Amino acid sequence: MGDGLEISEVTGLGLVAVMARKGVGAEAIGQRLGLAPGLAAPATPHWVGDGALALIGTGPGSWLARSEAPTAEWAETVIERLAGLASATDVSASYRVFRLSGGDAARLLQRGAFVDLATPAFAPGSVAVTVIAHIGVIIRQIDETSFDVSVFRSLGESFHHWLTTAAATL
Amino acid sequence: MSRLASGGLIDRTRRLRFTWDGKALEGYHGDTLASALLANDVRLVARSFKYHRPRGILTAGAEEPNALVTLGSGAHADPNTPATTVPLTDGLVATSQNRWPSLRHDVMAVNQFASPIFVAGFYYKTFMWPKKAWEKLYEPLIRRAAGLGALSGLPDPDSYDREHAFCDLLVIGGGPAGLSAALAAGRAGLRVILADDGLEPGGWLLSCRDTIAGQTASNWARIAVAELGIMANVRVLPHTTIFGIYDGCEYAGVQHLGAGQPEPGQPRQRLWKIIASRALLATGAMERPIIFGGNDRPGVMMASAASSYVNHFAVAPGRRAVVFTATDSGWQTARDLIGAGVEVAAVVDPRGGGVPVDMAGIRRVRGLVRDVRGSAVRGADIATPDGKVERIDCDLVAMSGGWNPAIGLAAHLGQKPVWSEAIQSFLPGALPPGLAAIGAASGQFALGAILAQAHGAAAALAETLGAGGHAGEPSVAEDEACGVAPCWHVAGARTKAFVDFQHDVTDADVALAAREGYVSVEHMKRYTTLGMATDQGRTGQLNGHALLAAATGKTVAEAGTIRARPPAQPVAIGVLAGHHRDEAFRPARLAPSHGWATALGASFTDAGQWKRAQWYAQPHESDWLETVNREVLATRNAVGFCDVSTLGKIDVLGPDAGALLDRLYINTFSTLAVGKARYGVMLREDGMVMDDGTTTRFAEDNFFLTTTTANAARVLQHIDFARSVLWPDLDVQATSTTEHWATFSVAGPQSRALLADLLPEIDLSNAALPYMGARRFRWNGISARIYRLSFSGELAYEISVPADHGPALAQALHEAGATPYGTEALGVMRIEKGHPAGNELNGQTTAADLGFGRMMAKKKDFIGKVMAQRPGLTDPARPALVGLKPVDRAQRIRAGAHLLPVGAKPVAANDQGHVTSACFSPTLGHAIALGLLAHGPSRHGEQVVVHDPVRGADVLAEVCDPVFVDPEGVRLRG
Repeated sequence: MGDGLEISEVTGLGLVAVMARKGVGAEAIGQRLGLAPGLAAPATPHWVGDGALALIGTGPGSWLARSEAPTAEWAETVIERLAGLASATDVSASYRVFRLSGGDAARLLQRGAFVDLATPAFAPGSVAVTVIAHIGVIIRQIDETSFDVSVFRSLGESFHHWLTTAAATL
Repeated sequence: MSRLASGGLIDRTRRLRFTWDGKALEGYHGDTLASALLANDVRLVARSFKYHRPRGILTAGAEEPNALVTLGSGAHADPNTPATTVPLTDGLVATSQNRWPSLRHDVMAVNQFASPIFVAGFYYKTFMWPKKAWEKLYEPLIRRAAGLGALSGLPDPDSYDREHAFCDLLVIGGGPAGLSAALAAGRAGLRVILADDGLEPGGWLLSCRDTIAGQTASNWARIAVAELGIMANVRVLPHTTIFGIYDGCEYAGVQHLGAGQPEPGQPRQRLWKIIASRALLATGAMERPIIFGGNDRPGVMMASAASSYVNHFAVAPGRRAVVFTATDSGWQTARDLIGAGVEVAAVVDPRGGGVPVDMAGIRRVRGLVRDVRGSAVRGADIATPDGKVERIDCDLVAMSGGWNPAIGLAAHLGQKPVWSEAIQSFLPGALPPGLAAIGAASGQFALGAILAQAHGAAAALAETLGAGGHAGEPSVAEDEACGVAPCWHVAGARTKAFVDFQHDVTDADVALAAREGYVSVEHMKRYTTLGMATDQGRTGQLNGHALLAAATGKTVAEAGTIRARPPAQPVAIGVLAGHHRDEAFRPARLAPSHGWATALGASFTDAGQWKRAQWYAQPHESDWLETVNREVLATRNAVGFCDVSTLGKIDVLGPDAGALLDRLYINTFSTLAVGKARYGVMLREDGMVMDDGTTTRFAEDNFFLTTTTANAARVLQHIDFARSVLWPDLDVQATSTTEHWATFSVAGPQSRALLADLLPEIDLSNAALPYMGARRFRWNGISARIYRLSFSGELAYEISVPADHGPALAQALHEAGATPYGTEALGVMRIEKGHPAGNELNGQTTAADLGFGRMMAKKKDFIGKVMAQRPGLTDPARPALVGLKPVDRAQRIRAGAHLLPVGAKPVAANDQGHVTSACFSPTLGHAIALGLLAHGPSRHGEQVVVHDPVRGADVLAEVCDPVFVDPEGVRLRG
C-alpha cells in the first residue's frame, strides 16, 4: 500500500434519505433543515454543510442528510422537520462509509470509478453516485486529499476486498 | 554471434540470460526476444500454421505474423506472443510452438508436400460428410494439425487491474508525430495522455539514423519523453496498446506492466478506459512485404525491420544481403546495413534510376526478386526486364513494398478507409468523432514534415479547446526521400509465394478465391482466411486485396479494403475480467446476521447476490435433511427464527402514496388502516404476476412495502417508473430501505412467550397486536419495528432493527432459546402452507393461477388489469396451483416433474402441468409438493401421474388443497 493512503471506516453516522415533495425547491429544504442562512440544498452532485449536518446531493430532488454525532432522535427530528416539504426515511444503517485519505486516495478511486475525479471536474464539495467493481457507491470529496465512499452495508465486505486489492497495487 | 561491436540502444553492461527451447542464451537489457534470438544466430523460430513451414522473424514490431512463441511455463505459459514485442528479461523462458517433435524436425511439415489439396476452401469442400464425423473426428484432427500455441489449461496465476482516465487529448502512438504533438499540447497546457505500445516511446525514431534539432533521433525522443514526464498535465503510458475506439470518445487500452515480468504482487496487465475530448492517431505505418517465391523463408525480412535490428538493437540480421525495394526507404536500409558492416550484394528495385552518390559502388539491379533459394535463405533469383534470371548468393533478403498507414483504429466505429494514389495505400476517410490522424498514419512519411504537421495539429487543438499556454515551436529535421512505386506481386515464381504468412495463404489461394467467385475482399477474407488470426493480416492483407483487384480487373481502390474492428491487438480475457474472478467474480451481499451465522457453523446458499444461511447443522447431524427436519419441527412445536432481511423493503411516501399503491397492486391499499399490514400481488403490464409481499401503513402518507428477495430492485424500478413516467402528477416518493433494516422472523407457538421476555416494553396480546398488525418501538434505545406476519403459518412476528444491530438481535433471540433456521426450513414450511414463491411466481403465472383471482379488485384500475383479462389468461383450463401428495406415502415427488392423467401415454400432448416445489414434510411425515395443474382447483381428490423421465420412475399422486398444514389458520391467529 502506498504511503499516501489511509483507509478507515466512519461509523456512528446518522443518515436520512430526503426526497422533495412535488414542487418543493432545494432552497426551502435547506432552510427548513437549518443550513447556514442562504445555503440551499445542492441542486447538483455536490454536498454542503458540516459535521453536524451535511446535505449530499444524490439525484434530482434527492439528498442524504448526514450527521456525524447524531442523538438517538436525530433522524426522527429531521423527518419531522421536513414534514410537508420532503419525504424522508432513516437510512443510517444502510451504508458502510469508508474514508480514503492521502495523496493516493484519488488515484485509487479513479481505478474503480469511471467518472473524472480530477480538479476541476471534481473538487472538494463534489459528489458522484456511480459504480465501483459492480458495486453502487456514493463518492463525496471532503478536502483536497480525502474522500468518503458509501456503499450498501451488505456489499461492504466485497467493496472492502476490492479496496484492499486495488490499494496493494498502487 | 551477430551482435555488432558497438551502437544500438541496448545496455551492454546488463547481460541477461534466457532459454530458447531449453537452450541457454544471453542478451542485453534493451533487447527484445526477437533481437536476442537474432543476435544468437537463431533464425528458425516457428512453424507455420497450416503447412508447418519453417519461419523466421519478419518484422520488429507488433505486426509480426511468424515469430509467435510461448513465454513461461506451467500455469504462467503465455502462448502466441510475438517475439518482437517481448522485452528480454533475466531468466525468460521461451519455447517455439506448433511443431512436433522439435522445431527443426517437425513431422507435420509433410503437409506442405500435400499442399495442392490444402488450398483455400479445402476443409469446406472435403469434410462435408458423413456429417456426424465433423465434430468427433475431422475438427479435432484438423485442430491438432493446424494451430498456434496451446493454453496451459491451468488457472492464471497473474493478476490484472483496471484504470480510468480523462483527458483533453489522447495521443495514440509515441513516434515522431506523437511526441511532437504531445509536446505541443502539453506545453500549451492541455491535459494530455500519450499511449505508446513500444517497450520505450520513440517508435521509428529509435530505429533510424536521422537527426532532429541537431541530435540523433533516439536522443531527441528520450529528451522529449523526459520533458513530457515532468509536465503535471501530461501522462505518458509506455507499453500501452490502444486497442479499441468506442462511442462517446471512449478509448480502451492494455498496458503491459513490469517490462514483461510483473513485480511481485503487482498486476501483469492493466486495462485502461480513457475518455478523451480529442485524440490524435499517431500510430505510424507498417511496411508491407512483396509477394515472391519463398518470401516466407527465414532470412527474408522487412527492410525496416533490418534497419531496426541494426540501429536499435545492434544486431546484424545477415552477413550478405539483397535489398528488394520499391520504396526510397529501402535504400535507407541498404545504407544502414552497409554502415553495420553487412555486405549488400545488390539493391533490387523495379524502378529505374541510379545509385545515390553516398552509396557509390553498390550494385543496383532494375528488376524483381522472383524466388529465394534454400530452406533458410541461401540465395535469390533476380528477374530483370530483359527476361533474364540471375542468382545472387545471400543469407538476407530485406524487402520493402511500400508503407501502409496503421489506421485500423480509425475504422472501429464503421468508417471506411480511402485509397491514396500518392502513397499506394489506404488512408483514413471519415474519422470517429474527436479523432484526427497525424504523421505516417495520415500518409505523411517525411520526418521534418511529420514533426511540423503534428505540432501544428496539436497547437490548433490547444487553441480550439482554450488552453492558455504556448505550444512552442516544432523541432526541425530534414525530409528524407519517401517515393514508392506499386509493386505487389512478382509473377512467375517457381516456389510458394505467401500473401498472409500467419495463415499460410498464398497468391494461388487468392487467385482460386477469385475464380470461385469470391470477388469481394470480405468474402475472399472468409474463404481464404487471409487477414485472420492474431496478427489480423497487418503485413500482407493489402497485398491480398491488390491481387484480388488484379484478378478481377479492378483497381485496388475499387476492390477496397476491409474495415478493422476492435480489438486492434489480441487482448487477454484476464485483463478484461480484472478484479472480477474467483470469489470476486461478482459482489456478494451479506445479510446482517452473516458473521453470527458463520460463527454458528451455518451453510450458505446463493439467492441472487445474497448469501443466505441455508441451514444450521449441529455436529451430531448426519445429513442436511436431518438438520432441516429438526429446524422445521423446532419451529412448529416451539419457536424458531430466521434472517429475512434480504426481502426487498421500500418506503413509499407522500400524500399520494396510497393512490399509487392502488394502481400497482391488484388489491386496494389506500383503505389500509394505520398500524396494519396487508398482503398484495402486483402484475406486470402483460397481466402476469410480477411480485408479491406485504405492505404496512405507518402513517397516512407512509407505507412500508416488502418484495421478494429476487425482485427487490425490479420492484423499486417499477415504482419509480410508475411515479415518474406514468403518473408524474402524483406526489409520491420511494426509497429502498432494504439495507437499513435487519429483520428476523420469529415463529412458533412459543414465539409470543419468548418475545414477551425479550421485549417487555411491548404488549404482544392479540388485542394490542393482532394478526397483520404492526408497531414501532424502541429496543435498547434504538428504533425498531414489530410486525405480526407469518410465512411459516405459525404464530409469528417479524422484528426489525437497524442492520448494524442485527447480530445483537440474532444473538439475543438465540440466547432466549429460539432455534435458528435457514432458507431450506423456510422453504419446507412455506410449501406446507401452500404459499407461492419464486418457483410459482415464474413470470408465466397469473394471479388466478396462483389462487389470487378473487383478490383482483373490480372497482379500480391497476397495472396489468386489462391484459390479465385476455382469453388465454382467463382460460379455466390453465394450469393452476394445487397440492400433491404421493399415494404411497413412502415415495418422493421431485420438482420439475410433469403431471399426466393416470394411464395416459407420457407424451407432450398429454401434459397437464408440472411440479413447481417439492419437499419432505417433517410435520406430516411424507413428501408433499405444489404444482400447476390444468383445471387444478376442481380436481382435489383426483389422482395424477408424476412423470419424471430424467431422474426416476413415475409416482402416483393425489391432488389436494395446496395448504397442507392448518388450513383454517388457527395457529397463526393464536
